[in-house]
Formats: sequence, structure tokens, C-alpha cells
Amino acid sequence: MKKINTELLKNIDKLGLSERNRQWKAALKASGWKLFADREKWTVESWKETEGEDIQIRRARLLKKILDNIKIRIYDFDVIVGRLTPGVIGCATSFDISGDYIPDIWKDNSEISVTMDANIGLDPESLQILRNSAVTFRGKTAPEMTYKAWESVVGPWIRDAEKARLKDPTLDAGFFAQCTSTLMWDKILTRGLSAFINEAQALIKEFIDNCSTDIDRLYFWKSAVIVSEAAIDHSKRYAALARKMAEKETKAERKEELLEIARICEHVPENPARTFHEALQAMSIMGVCKNYENPMHNNPQWGRGDQYLYPYFINDLNNGIITIKKAAELLTELIGRWGTQTFVAAESFKESHQINFGINNIMLGGVDKNGEDQTNELSYLFLHLVGLLQLSSPTVGLRWNKSTPDWMMKKAMHTNMETKGGIPLFENDEVVIKHFLDDGIPLEEASEWCGLGCVYPCLPSRAEHYGSEGIAAVNLAAMLHLALHNGKDVNGKLTGIETGNPAEFQSFDDLYNSLMKQHKFITHRLFRLAAIALKEQPKYLRLPFLSAMGIQACMDKGQDLLIPDPDAAMFGISDRAIIDVADSLIAVKKLVFDDKKLSMKELLLALDTSFDGERGEEIRMMCFAQPKYGNDIDEVDMLAERISKDSYDIIRSYDNSPFRKYIVAREGLAWHYFGGLGVGALPNGRKAFEPLNDGSVSPMRGADKNGPTAVLRSALKAGFDESYASVLNQKFSSAILQSEESVDKLVAYTNAFMQNGGSHIQYNMVDTDELRDAKVNPEKHKDLIVRIGGFSAYFIQLSPDIQDDVINRSEHSI
Amino acid sequence: MNSAVITNIQGYSIHDGPGIRTVVFFKGCPLSCEWCANPECISRKPQMGFIESLCKKCGKCLEACPENAIRLNEGEFRIDYLKCTVCGKCEEACVYDAIVRYGGLMTVNEVWDAVRRDRMFYDSSGGGVTVSGGEPLLYAEFVHQLFDFCREEKINTCVETCGFVDPDAILEVIPVSDFFLFDIKHMDSVLHKKYTGQSNNRILENAELLIKHNADVMFRLPLVPGINDSETNIKATSEFLKGLGEKALKLQLMPYHRMGQGKYKALDMVYHMEQIPAMDNEAIETVKNKYMDLGILCTVSR
Repeated sequence: MKKINTELLKNIDKLGLSERNRQWKAALKASGWKLFADREKWTVESWKETEGEDIQIRRARLLKKILDNIKIRIYDFDVIVGRLTPGVIGCATSFDISGDYIPDIWKDNSEISVTMDANIGLDPESLQILRNSAVTFRGKTAPEMTYKAWESVVGPWIRDAEKARLKDPTLDAGFFAQCTSTLMWDKILTRGLSAFINEAQALIKEFIDNCSTDIDRLYFWKSAVIVSEAAIDHSKRYAALARKMAEKETKAERKEELLEIARICEHVPENPARTFHEALQAMSIMGVCKNYENPMHNNPQWGRGDQYLYPYFINDLNNGIITIKKAAELLTELIGRWGTQTFVAAESFKESHQINFGINNIMLGGVDKNGEDQTNELSYLFLHLVGLLQLSSPTVGLRWNKSTPDWMMKKAMHTNMETKGGIPLFENDEVVIKHFLDDGIPLEEASEWCGLGCVYPCLPSRAEHYGSEGIAAVNLAAMLHLALHNGKDVNGKLTGIETGNPAEFQSFDDLYNSLMKQHKFITHRLFRLAAIALKEQPKYLRLPFLSAMGIQACMDKGQDLLIPDPDAAMFGISDRAIIDVADSLIAVKKLVFDDKKLSMKELLLALDTSFDGERGEEIRMMCFAQPKYGNDIDEVDMLAERISKDSYDIIRSYDNSPFRKYIVAREGLAWHYFGGLGVGALPNGRKAFEPLNDGSVSPMRGADKNGPTAVLRSALKAGFDESYASVLNQKFSSAILQSEESVDKLVAYTNAFMQNGGSHIQYNMVDTDELRDAKVNPEKHKDLIVRIGGFSAYFIQLSPDIQDDVINRSEHSI
Repeated sequence: MNSAVITNIQGYSIHDGPGIRTVVFFKGCPLSCEWCANPECISRKPQMGFIESLCKKCGKCLEACPENAIRLNEGEFRIDYLKCTVCGKCEEACVYDAIVRYGGLMTVNEVWDAVRRDRMFYDSSGGGVTVSGGEPLLYAEFVHQLFDFCREEKINTCVETCGFVDPDAILEVIPVSDFFLFDIKHMDSVLHKKYTGQSNNRILENAELLIKHNADVMFRLPLVPGINDSETNIKATSEFLKGLGEKALKLQLMPYHRMGQGKYKALDMVYHMEQIPAMDNEAIETVKNKYMDLGILCTVSR
């Protein structure tokens, strides 16, 4: 067990946001969204200059052009410098990666939608730059060309399948090139970029000395040198700017700060970081460079930030180089910066993710290769700061294991309270590591796993191709729709295969087998398309910076991330909506085949009219009343288990050689909104196009009426052991955490689940909107239980004025 | 006694004893406190309840009822409890969950099977099973058997009682109960009778009995404004607790709330406390501090 300075933990608890951090937050609130076209100016200019050169060199020089020229800015409240745009929350675009992907720029009102609900105006000059870039890159980018290749194989099927939400829009969203997001922070901090340059140059020399012929590799190493030097120069631009500002600065204190910025930026990232401050500054510049290369990408992931930063942190504190206050302030600055960098996303991305900020992830705690838990004071500080910041990004995960200290678990619950839930989420260290080991990954690599996006476990040492070829998820609910319509999707297109008229199914098994046939057809076809994408994309795109800084194998082999090395690449997929399908299938089984309360024809008619027909509402209520997963009811829980296993088998039966087989990792995000848009009414009682269940193993919203322990019993019974990760969103009100005693109980609840093999859980707080909705749509909120000592009732059974009371007391007791 | 009428078995109960608990609500209570939040647990018999706000007036229950016990009265459905045999056909017929059944006969084995499922949560939290209601000690033998099962598997056991029971019932469960939550409602016997239907003599005697037998007891007081929050009652309660000795100096306040009101309506019962608002935190704290000043370690259940 690590020796922990408990005094330091107490001091961390006392920390608030510093004046500087508050100034930044105020500026963030005041600034509003702003789009900066600057990057596009330089991409176009560079692309013209490098015409005819090798794709790797072109991409490296494109990044260099941006880094050398893009407008930079240091705000009065900045001590860590380096941001994607000169705005506090500026947005960037990426036509060079995604082509002509923002329809808004061709409209006359010069307004671009940047978030779900915010439009921003553009000055004519910026608009011209954007249009120019769109024209320059239109039809020449990896996603566009991949679609072409796909269409040459399957015709309009791929667009139809996307419309029916059978797959997610990874390619369209520009998310496809996400092969890793965690840079090799340890190497960057301890050795500096000069080491990368030396490494590449030595390999270049060897290539020439050996008379090697694989020219692609030479270009890779040359591009690695170009981008490394460009990153160093970019940092030095900040140093020069800071010096210039210092000359004019009248306040002595700020002048000294600016000179300090300059000194640090002259030293890192070129050289190894010597202090906590230098380490964070190096990360900031490297993070910005990564996103300049591809803005429509995850923000830099922290990975195990509490581990590689710990030596700097604790050494500086112990030697009086920094105070805990100052360390917290610096760390807050970078967490906040990475939590608010944005880009203009494609429409489908907004639909599927419900956000437009670059996701980034911090994974705290967890064991080392010797199986010893490594939670430390810095892990605690991270939690404290995300609690203070209350941003929706980063995603913060805690690697739960049997040795996770109790003080960390308690802090995690308090942080959940501060952030209104979801932060941190808990993932089972032991489950994830076991999966990696079972798949032949050595322990020293497996124990370094961290989160990609939300819960997807990835290894910093390997390129993660989850979604990288445009296929990240398949939608089992949409497949069920196919099975219930003889292969036709919600738009009437035959995107599936004909598996027979469901009205003629003789047994439940007929339906089940039809579903699995659809699954295999869709999923394997998509895997084949992914393999085609793998060949197509590198023709049009390379990511020299991400490759050189992200994965050691890329440097060693001289090979871009987008051309996967079978030894160093992981492939994954998320098979979604298992619970929607389990609840739906059990309803059909009981209503149609077992109890014969409805004929298949009657049920289908109700579904096809989204329960709007004459008997619609009655049938919907009958559907609702069938057993639902999440209540510890064996027949439906076991069905969920069966679907999970069969789905896994279908995925694993695809031969992905020469690469590893696809792993299954069921993440959550806001995909359920998107996925629902392609699915008609379901026999679980959900109406057409409504969102599917959230998470990946959460019960149907409002259907878990036997309380939170029954939910976990269902999840454990169904097991879902095939998946590296599952998302179980558990809803509680803040009342559940009103006393220290209640915090202890929630810790015990979490521990019980994890000790028994649960893989993930996160807590969302019930808000008053939900309670209001429960008054109007009680059937969707059967789970809300009023918890007061010695009292028992469901919220929907309270009398309306008492319901109002509860709502007004801001969910004290649910 | 192998079966009892149970209204609910509620997991993840965190206000009813140590750790994460499952509370088993028994039906039937010798008291009928005006502020009772669980009126469905007063009668020992199962009952059908009708949640008006969920009713869509489809009339399916009328059709389903073999006894003609459901009638339409001025546009509202009412259950005629004289005719109702609690057959449950209306509940089955209602797709909107507007008809609920309060109470079903369960055997000890059935209750045990339900509560043992949360074993892992008891283990990780030091929790267990709490019997409540209603008055669980009306089913003392049943409780004894249930707790025997629990203790065999080292599951913590707790009795939540109003105290107005045969002393033999208390003695029956003492050997198998780890913990008691014991309600003291009012020290004035006359007022006690007025508000609960019974005088407090037997309750106070049973409190002494428990202490005498070295039971681990947490006394609880349902704090109802204007009824038992007076200086006089605070003093008298403190004196009583002090008289019980060192072990009894703890008291937990259960602030009055109106959450149970809907259930009165569902059962066509009269709610006498319509005019009394829930207590605010400040008033609760004032009472708590008064107890603390008198040397009682007072906490508030939230």
C-alpha cells in the first residue's frame, strides 16, 4: 500500500477555485462561442505549396504551417499557455480532414450552428476562408473517398444503413481517424521532444546506411522530425510573445509570471520537464499540436494523469518548489482548457454525441503491473478540482479494485454530488485487466489501461481502431426492427435480409433466430467495409504528429497509425441496445407466444402505428407491463445474457486477420438518442423514434421498480462478461448522499457490485425536470421510490400536491 | 405462524438501521396515529388501493370486478370496501397501474428468499434486514423465524416497533434481534391516546423491558409540529430516557412529512393532518438542540 500524506488530503479538501481560475471561468461565461477560421487559411496555403509531394510529408508540413503561423494569444489569467484558438472557447474547423462538411457555410445568413443550440455569426472574410478551404479539400478527403469505395461495393446500402441507424456515423462525424488520443506523456515529459528527433534521425540514417527501399518509412521518420521541430518552435512562439508582453507589463507580479512562461516555454517540450509546472506546460503545447493536426478529434486524453505526473507533483511539494494551492491552480487551468476546447462538428456527430466539445478522459487510480493500487494524493486532487470546476468534460473514471482506498471512494461520492452525478464513473480494474490478459496482452501493458472517450478501455501502448474505420457500433434494436419486418428498415428499405414474414413465425425461436441472422448479415458486412476503409484512408490522410507522439510502435516501424501494425493495433466494436432488445423479445414471447394475449399481427399493427391506433395505448401498456430487465426477474435477465453471448459470438466469428479479432466494449455516451432515431416502436413499450435505453446495460428508463439493489442483481445475473466495458447508469437523488453515513452506504453499494464482478457503474442525479415529467408520464417513471425512514412509496403514487411538494423541496428524498 | 401479510419489501433502505438494509413492511398496527405515513399498514387485511391521478377512466376495472365492488361516483371510481374481496382482478385489468394491492400473504420462506438476495450489500455495508410496518411484532413468531434464517447467515437484524405490543412478543424476538428502533410518540398518556388511539403505558413499560434485557435500542420520535414538540414533552421524553440509564441517551427525530397523504386517498380514508405543513429544517434543528441541551444525543433522520 502506498504511503499517503493524509494532512495533504485535508488541505486539498479546503481548496477553492483560485482568483485566477475564477477569472478564467468568468471569461468563459462571458465570451460566448466564436469560430476562428485562421487554421483553414494555413491548411489551404500549405496544401498548395506541397502539391505533388508525399502524403506524409504534406501532412507534416501542413501542421508545421499552422504551428508557425496561426494566431496565438496569452490572456491575463493564463499561466499555462497554448490554446486551439485565440478565443477562450473558440471553435475550430477541419475541412482538410472531413471535406465540405458544414452545410451552413453555403447558406446566405452567414450563421453556423456550433452546438446543439447555439449559432454564431461569421464576418465575410472568415466565411470566405472557410468556403475556400471547403472547395480546396472537397472530394479529396479520407471519409469522402471511403464512402465512394463503400458505394462501389454495396451501392446505396451504406447510406441506407446509416439512415436506419444500423451503424453509427463515425465516418461522417470525422471521428474515424481516432486511433489513439493519449500521447506518450511519460516519454514526452521525461525525455523531451529532442529525444524523439534523435530517434527519428537515427532511424533515417539507418535506413540510408542499410540501403532500405520501403520509402514510406523514410517519409514517416522525416515527417516525425518536421512535426517535432514544429511543436518546439510553436512553444517558442509563446515564449517570444510572453517576453514581448513582459516588456510592456507594468505590474511587477504579472511581468514575472510572463517571464516565467517564457523561460518554461523555451525549455519544454524540447527538453525533459523538471517541475510540475513545466510538465503541465509541456502537455498543454503537445495537446494543442495534436488538435491542430486534427481538430475534430478527442481532446488530448490525460490517460493516467495521476500516475505520470505524480513524481513531479510530490517532489515539488516536498521540496517547497510549489505550494498545494499553486499546484491546484495550474492543474485546474489545464483541466479547464482541455474541457472546453471545441470544434464545429458534423450534424450527425451532434446527433450521436449530443455535444461538440472534444471529449477527453482522465483515468484515476488503479493497479500497477505488480497488482498494487496506485491511488495517490494527486488522484484525490484531480477529483477535488473536477468537483470545483463542474464542467461536463473531462470524463473522469476511477479504476476500482479491491485495494482502492476508502478515502478515495468517499471523495468520489462527494465529487458526484458536486458535479450532479456521473463524475467520476467507476470501472472495474480487475475485470478490464483480465479481459486484456485473456486476449494475450502482457500484464505490464494491460495494467496501464485508461479510458477512451467515456468508458472504452484502451491501452496507451497500442493503436486503438475502435471506430477508426468508420464502424464503431451496431444497433441491435434496429436489427430487431429488421427481424420484425422481414429485413426492411424503418424507411422501408431492404437493408437487412429476408428472414420471413413475422406474422407467420411459429415460435419465439423463429423470431430470435431471425434477429441473429440480421445481426450477422449487418455486422459482418460492416466489418468488410471497415477493412476497405483501412486501405482507403491512408491514401488521403496521415497523422504524423499523433503517430510519432502516441505510439512507440509507429516510430519503431516508421509507419503511420492509420496503417495498422498487426502487433500494435486493437480493434473494437460496441453492439448496442441489448437491453431494449431483451425487454422487447420477452414481451413478444409472453404476449404473443406464451400467454397469447395478442397475435403477432395485432402487435405489429400497434408497433407500425407507434401505438397510435385504436388499441394502441392499451397495447403499449400491456407491453410496459411485461417483465423488464433490472428487476431481478430471471426470465428476462437470462434472455439479456443470451443475447449478449450470441451477439459476442457473431462479432468474434468474423475473421479479421491479419489483425486481432474485434473486441466487444459496450459504451454509452448519448448514443441512445441517435440510435433511437432509426428504430420504430418496440415491443418493450417504447414509441417510434424515441431514445433507446441509456448506457449499455441500464434498465429501461423508469422500469426498474424494484429498487437499486435489484438493478445490480439483474446486471450481475446477466453477466455481460463478453464485454470489456458496460455502462450502467444508476439514478439517485442527491438525498441519497445527504449525510456522511449515506456516502458510506453508497460506497458499500458500489463495492458490493464491483466485488461481484460488475464492470462499470455511474451515478446520475435525478433532477426536478424528471420529477415533473413523472407527473405527466407516470408509466416512464415507475422506478422513483421515495426513501424516508420507515416509509415506503413510489413517487407516481403520491398525490399530486405532495408530488409538487417533493419537486419544490428539490428532490430531497427520492 | 408461517405467513404474514406483507405490503412491501424495500431494498437499499438507508435510514432504517446500520448499513444498507432491506425493510420488510408488515401489515397491521395496534395504533392509528393521526400522522401515520403508512396508513395501508394499519389494517391487518390486504386491501386494494385506488390511485386517482393514474386513472384514465377506461372502465376496465369495472368490467373485471366479479363483486361489483367498483362504482363510478360523480365521474370518479371508488372501491366499495364492504364488497371487495381483494381478489386482485381489477389490478390485473388496469394497465395504468392505478389500482394497487396493499398487502399479500407471504410465508417466512418467501420473505427470506426475497431478502437474502441482497446479501452482498449487507456484507459490504454491515447492513441487514429491518422489519417494520405496521407493527411487525404482531407477527413475532414469524419475525423470530425470519431472523433465525438471517442469523444463520450472519445477516444483521433489526426490529422497528411502535412498542404497543404484548411483552411476550418483545421477549420472543430479543434473542434474535441485533437492534431495535423503538418509537416514543408522546409522554402524556392522555394526549397519546388522543393522537394514537392508545395510552402510552405499555409502550413505556416495553421500552424498559428492552433496556433491562440489554437490547441495543435506538429510540425514535416522529416529530409532529404542535403535537409533540412542546417544551414539556421534550423535557418529559428526556427524563424518561435518562431514567432508562446510560444506554438510552440517544434519540433520533423523524420529522413529520405528508408523503403518506396519497395513500389515505387511495384507501378512501380520512387524513386528519391536512392543515399541518411539513416542518422546516430550522424548526427541526431547534427541537434537536433542545434535546442536546438536556443531555440527549439527538440526531435527525434524513
